Amino acid sequence: MNFLIYLIILALGGYIGYKDILNDFVNKRIAIMQNYALLFILFIMGISLGIDNHVIEYFATIGYQSIVIALFTIIFSILFVKLISKKVLQREERITNDN
Amino acid sequence: MTTKIIFSVILGIITGIFILPETMAGHIGIMIDIGLCLLLFFVGIDIGKQGDIFSKIKDMGIKIILVPIMIGLGSIVGAMLAGILLKIPLNQAGAIGAGFGWYSLSAIELSKYSSKLGALAFITNVSREVIAIMIIPFVAKYIGKLESIAPAGATAMDTTLPIISSVTDSDVAIISFISGVILSAAVPIIVPMFMMIS
Repeated sequence: MNFLIYLIILALGGYIGYKDILNDFVNKRIAIMQNYALLFILFIMGISLGIDNHVIEYFATIGYQSIVIALFTIIFSILFVKLISKKVLQREERITNDN
Repeated sequence: MTTKIIFSVILGIITGIFILPETMAGHIGIMIDIGLCLLLFFVGIDIGKQGDIFSKIKDMGIKIILVPIMIGLGSIVGAMLAGILLKIPLNQAGAIGAGFGWYSLSAIELSKYSSKLGALAFITNVSREVIAIMIIPFVAKYIGKLESIAPAGATAMDTTLPIISSVTDSDVAIISFISGVILSAAVPIIVPMFMMIS
């Protein structure tokens, strides 16, 4: 899997959404189907972590260090995006107002 | 939705540990790929319904490139600070942070230098993805929509994109995809660069 496949699938969905090809029955149910599909794939992703003995094994030994680094990367990336979010979204809000 | 997301992941992990045999692992990868494609298709429909995507991207301007740049910088700075706390060499901590949540590639790259470092990169980036899945809805609600892309890192173009899309809007979903693509492309370049500094 690479980003080209994802891009093609997104573009295909985008085209169908833009052209409004789907009928009302499907359109009304897309959000529900999306939520169920999301929860199902998260469940499967959870299984893929739990089923891999290496993940559990490594986690027992270096889990503490991993969580500290992961939390720091997340916190600082949020803070760094916070610095520019107004600049990026101001433009976006202006576009929305124009529309 | 947030509770359901957290519950689904935890239930999956428990099922994986206690119920399913490890021989199932190969099939699970295929199921994730199929499910992901289906979800991305739905996200695409949502984005398409909002109108002309290309003019939106054009209108948003070059400023959206700032999002992956800041996520990348924040990830690396954060990992280095954690490295100081944990007494891990700065270049190694930076390399782990530069995995941006793409655990398979960063672990493979860093295993070339040491298996312990590879394992640390793997678990750190797995943890980043799991934590991201759980906190994205909170970040979107209490901090900001654009900030909700940050925890995702490179996964903003695939595994976490459906979550970001469901808790924000189609404009943020587009920025998320672009950000994920740029960060994913940067991983194989930046991780070895850090290891060259020693």
